[in-house]
Amino acid sequence: MRKLAVDVVVIGGGSTGAGVVRDVAMRGFSTVLVERADLGQGTTGRFHGLLHSGGRYVVSDPESARECASENEILTRIQASAIESTGGYFVTCPGDDPTFADKFLAGAADTGVWAREVSVAEALRNEPRLNPGISRAIEVRDGTVDGWKLVWGAANSARNYGAQILTYHRVTKIETEAGKVTAVRCTNLRSGDEVLIECDFVLNCAGPWAGQIAAMAGAHPVEVVPGRGIMIAMNHRLVNRVINRCIYPADGDILVPAHTVSIIGTTDVKVDDPDNLAIEAGEVQQMLDAGEVLIPGFRNSRALHAWAGARPLIKDDRVAASDTRHMSRGMAVIDHTTRDGLDGMLTIGGGKLTTYRLMAEHIVDAMCEKRGEHRDCRTAAEPVPGSESGRTHLVSDRLHDREHDRFDEQIICECELMSRKMFTDALASQPAGSFDDLRRQLRLGMGPCQGGFCSVRATGIALDAGHLDSERANGLLRLFLKNRWIGLWPILYGDQVRQTALDNWIFQGTLDIEHLPQPTSEVAL
Amino acid sequence: MNGEDTSSELSTGLEFAGHALSRASLDACVKCTICETQCPVAAVTPLFSGPKFVGPQAERFRNGESVDHSLDYCSSCGTCTLVCPQGVQIAELNSQARAVMKVGHMPLRDRLIGQTVLMGTLMTPVAPLARAVLNNKPLRKVMEVVVGVHADAPMPPPQSQTFESWFAKRPTPAGPFPRGAVVFFHGCAGGYFEVETSKKSVEVLERLGFEVLVPKQGCCGLAQQSNGLFKQASASVLKLCDDLRTAGKDLTIISSSGSCTGMLKHEASEIMGVDDERLRDVGTRTRDIMEFLLDLHEAGELPTDFATVEMTVPYHAPCQLKSQGIGKPALEVLRLIPGLTVVDSNATCCGIAGTYGLKKEKYEVAQAVGKPLFDMVKATNPELALCDTETCRWQIEQSSGVKTEHPIWMIHKAYGLS
Amino acid sequence: MSRVVVIGAGLAGLVAANRLAEAGVQVVLLHKGLGGLQLGQGTIDVFGYAPARVSNPIKAVGSVATTHPYAAIGAKAVLTGVDYLKKLLPELLLGDPESNYQLPTAVGAIRPTCLAQPSMIAGHVTDGAKLVIVGIRGLKDFQPQLVAENLARTPLPDGGRLRARHLWVDVPARDGEVDSSGLTYARAFDDETFRVRFAKAVVGQLREDEIVGLPAVLGLKDLHAWRDLAGKLGHRVFEIPLPPPSIPGLRLSEALTARALAAGVRIVPGVRTVGYASSGDRVTSVTTAAGLGGRSYTADAFLLATGGFESGALNLDSHQVVRETLFNLPLAGLDQTPLIHGEYWGPEQPLFKVGVAVNPKMQAVDAAGIPVFANLYAAGGIIAGASGWTEKSGDGIALASAIVAAAAISKELA
Repeated sequence: MRKLAVDVVVIGGGSTGAGVVRDVAMRGFSTVLVERADLGQGTTGRFHGLLHSGGRYVVSDPESARECASENEILTRIQASAIESTGGYFVTCPGDDPTFADKFLAGAADTGVWAREVSVAEALRNEPRLNPGISRAIEVRDGTVDGWKLVWGAANSARNYGAQILTYHRVTKIETEAGKVTAVRCTNLRSGDEVLIECDFVLNCAGPWAGQIAAMAGAHPVEVVPGRGIMIAMNHRLVNRVINRCIYPADGDILVPAHTVSIIGTTDVKVDDPDNLAIEAGEVQQMLDAGEVLIPGFRNSRALHAWAGARPLIKDDRVAASDTRHMSRGMAVIDHTTRDGLDGMLTIGGGKLTTYRLMAEHIVDAMCEKRGEHRDCRTAAEPVPGSESGRTHLVSDRLHDREHDRFDEQIICECELMSRKMFTDALASQPAGSFDDLRRQLRLGMGPCQGGFCSVRATGIALDAGHLDSERANGLLRLFLKNRWIGLWPILYGDQVRQTALDNWIFQGTLDIEHLPQPTSEVAL
Repeated sequence: MNGEDTSSELSTGLEFAGHALSRASLDACVKCTICETQCPVAAVTPLFSGPKFVGPQAERFRNGESVDHSLDYCSSCGTCTLVCPQGVQIAELNSQARAVMKVGHMPLRDRLIGQTVLMGTLMTPVAPLARAVLNNKPLRKVMEVVVGVHADAPMPPPQSQTFESWFAKRPTPAGPFPRGAVVFFHGCAGGYFEVETSKKSVEVLERLGFEVLVPKQGCCGLAQQSNGLFKQASASVLKLCDDLRTAGKDLTIISSSGSCTGMLKHEASEIMGVDDERLRDVGTRTRDIMEFLLDLHEAGELPTDFATVEMTVPYHAPCQLKSQGIGKPALEVLRLIPGLTVVDSNATCCGIAGTYGLKKEKYEVAQAVGKPLFDMVKATNPELALCDTETCRWQIEQSSGVKTEHPIWMIHKAYGLS
Repeated sequence: MSRVVVIGAGLAGLVAANRLAEAGVQVVLLHKGLGGLQLGQGTIDVFGYAPARVSNPIKAVGSVATTHPYAAIGAKAVLTGVDYLKKLLPELLLGDPESNYQLPTAVGAIRPTCLAQPSMIAGHVTDGAKLVIVGIRGLKDFQPQLVAENLARTPLPDGGRLRARHLWVDVPARDGEVDSSGLTYARAFDDETFRVRFAKAVVGQLREDEIVGLPAVLGLKDLHAWRDLAGKLGHRVFEIPLPPPSIPGLRLSEALTARALAAGVRIVPGVRTVGYASSGDRVTSVTTAAGLGGRSYTADAFLLATGGFESGALNLDSHQVVRETLFNLPLAGLDQTPLIHGEYWGPEQPLFKVGVAVNPKMQAVDAAGIPVFANLYAAGGIIAGASGWTEKSGDGIALASAIVAAAAISKELA
């Protein structure tokens, strides 16, 4: 068994956990982050990529609006490389209440969220695919954010401050002694090794899984109500700005240009199990209808992939009113001392990606207070590694990069313009990684062909790099294709059927991949 | 001249309906790469990253800016669109992205080459002098350095009389014209440089019993379009539509200029996104002259009393004709002439692609593209080749040394008109 | 003279056009783009898995279910087709309808096929064979270690094992290019000086009796380039097909197109066929679209050889409705629900067996078996009842349905 000893264990490798571990490390605590899968594999990687300007909340929740506006500015500064400053519009579609825009503008003025009404003609000139029937358009400073890049940026920053990041480690038990947390036990899922991490504080940032974690410490049940939302990525940028419907927040009212795709979202359906999120046909149709309202002809454009995320909503009547002083809007903190008589553990739920840093600041402030020491939060002041220049990314960056290195480097994933070097570098830093782990950092297989052309290349290169044998290489290829299919088949229509037919033709027809020796058991990680 | 009018070019470069259409077509790309197998430019140089790369693939990364300057090596021959089994408008996407890329830094040369009428009207009255300049190596070298047109590139042959002047001055044809009237669209090249082709076309049509009307007509704007000057080109093509419509409603418009026909039927709408009733009217009424003859033949209305022409002749179907989706009508019609053996070049492209092969940095590429064709032409008949469009004829003639004529010359001859 | 319009330039369209032209019919071949041959492996599959691995393909053809396209086509037409292609393209296709080759793929699986290109035959797996799989650094679509290691750990269909190792060579197809397509390499291999350079880089690394497996890029125009290379290496060599664009497929496509042109077929490329006109029970014309121009083609008979979902001949729209996109023909196979399921490695997706039902003349028929139009025929991937890439039967279905349709049309028009 491997043993570690730190001040603080952070559980959960989504944006909250990564933000928290960074903050904890920057305040000088020794810390470990434990994540049962890869970083950003849960809710953080399964949203629409919107960096809120605050506009969405100016009417419904002014305090959230203020927080978003301020955090948007901070993140654009400290995590520039994860962000594209696209700007956005709130548009009043046919049938929408046209007076909501007045409330919107008033709310924006009250909350300090930057907003400017523009003429419909200007909006249509800048976004020619928008519904020509819109009656009003308000420009805001929405942006897009790559959740994975954001999490990796925060995690790498934490590492620079001495934090350890343990991915593919599942927490099995939180040890307590005399009403106080003493250690976290976990299992390395790839090697099977047990790890015991002695600590005096646990920050439970497991999002939709926070209830399961709290139970491991013997706490009273924490009621988590995962709200499932589905998103659909369309093949290219139908718009270059975030398009929101200018209505009270509802389903299917946002279209986000994230990297090369545009993402329509989202739904909200209560589910029981955050590990079992179906993409229901009815919800797909609902999103397509919603897209059609924003962009006429939406249904005829190509859908590439769909996914579902679980909102980490905590409903717990034991959250004491007095605890809310440490909370951001939409965020819930459970103090297990007052609630369960258990010292050394806080559970965080709710929140949104745009305010992840602020949430971390609040929770770490709360921890410091409980520990009886004051240490200043510095996360807003310092850029994470890779964002020092302050340059936000552009969709054209990869095209620009390949234009300059295409005589030196092969392009392995052509749809997303991923070079061989990008792949081998990532592989060297994560030699045990699955192709999905690498995909989240590189966008491997996320374009139109959905792995049809690149996945065999990637498999061969990984084998050539010497990190695995041919049996695992085949296993990883099978896993990658299987995982791609999870997000493909629910939205399979139109042009993506052609692609799937060609991909099947390649894999089965030309390569006869299904007649390779079957693995004794499928690779799962 | 360089750099003027940037903002309005930017707006026409980015915001026309055609771009939305072509961009939507990228959804059909399944990355099969068939386009790259047929691209004549990628075959001869790695400088061009290929139609799939710069087309549907790169387009997903473009946000109003073309950062991939290698797309300028695309010659716009249109082969990729022609062979794409999925219907992606690859060449059109590339032309549009190139137009955007050139906004604000359009080389002087691309503007000059685009001014076809200007070039013709300037050269015609002083044809011997112009011919001397164009054939004068040292002077051409100066042009290469100053303007960027390669010293060995083919240039239009100046004529001493324009088609318009011939048509106006000739004795009025006696008729009768039992088949009614048709409109003849000669195009700039057919008006100023390829005057013989225009004359022979008119004479063949009259021999067939058509009254030929020739309204005064301007430039179709093709050269401007292919050099990314969409705003000027759109104005030109609509002006031309107005010109052609003055001759009469519902009349078939016939042209022996394959490239200008292509502009009316294809490029103006598909690349520049010109969405105008006048263009639709003219575009749908326009026929390539060989297409028109084939239609007559299929309807059983083409006299086939051709004289025997004992000859084997190479024929090259230009890219712009192929892009019109009419196959190779000249091949079918020429095969009706007894004794004549027509050998299809089956070559993809001659390399010139309008004005591409004139440019000094593209000249070598264009020559390499055309080499298989030049070799084929020389081997098939060192005296004569046939091809439907002007710039391709000039390119073939200049690079192979084989005299190259429009197929209508052969028809003219076989009808005993020459 | 009678006229037939063939729509589509894949294997079915090209074979039918050739057969009809040879029968003295005037043929117009309309196609939107280059057809399916470039997408496949460049061999002729007849039957590979039924679902167990097939060793005698023609026998398997004779024992299909009644819903399978081969049931209407019949084994005789398959034999005729195989014989026809072998005679038409003797430099490109070898094989025996009663025996499949078992050939390595670019992931190292062992794939059955009926007719293969001569450049591939030495790859037919045999117990105890020693293979060396050679990768070229500039060609990313061929990963030799994956091929070699998978081959080495696979029990052979007829029992036994082979030995396989891999090696890499770094011979650029063109100066300054690190990322070359298979086509760029194929063009380089057409040139003898390149073959000399390539052989020099490989030959010192070969061991005695090794058979050399290479990516299928050994020449495009020069059909003997591979043989010349084998001579220079002093070893047997074989080609392994790559994902599209397929060089072996291009060879077949170009050869069949050249044959068709020589036989007088009029080919109109780059046109989408978007509509038709009919009179009574006959189609009278089809209409193509290209830019602002559109043309109509009248004919006595029409052959629909437009492929399946991959070409857009069949479309599943966002409301989950499947259509044949030109004639809106009735479709078979829609009763299998769900048409798409979530198990990637599970059973075949029923959607890809949806298509047009045909009678033994290859006329498109409705659910009652009545021809939709008396003069409308179908061939190739549009026909319902099989997914060719799973069974490795797509080429045989295309080929034989084209043979049957061409014969039926010729007879009808005679």
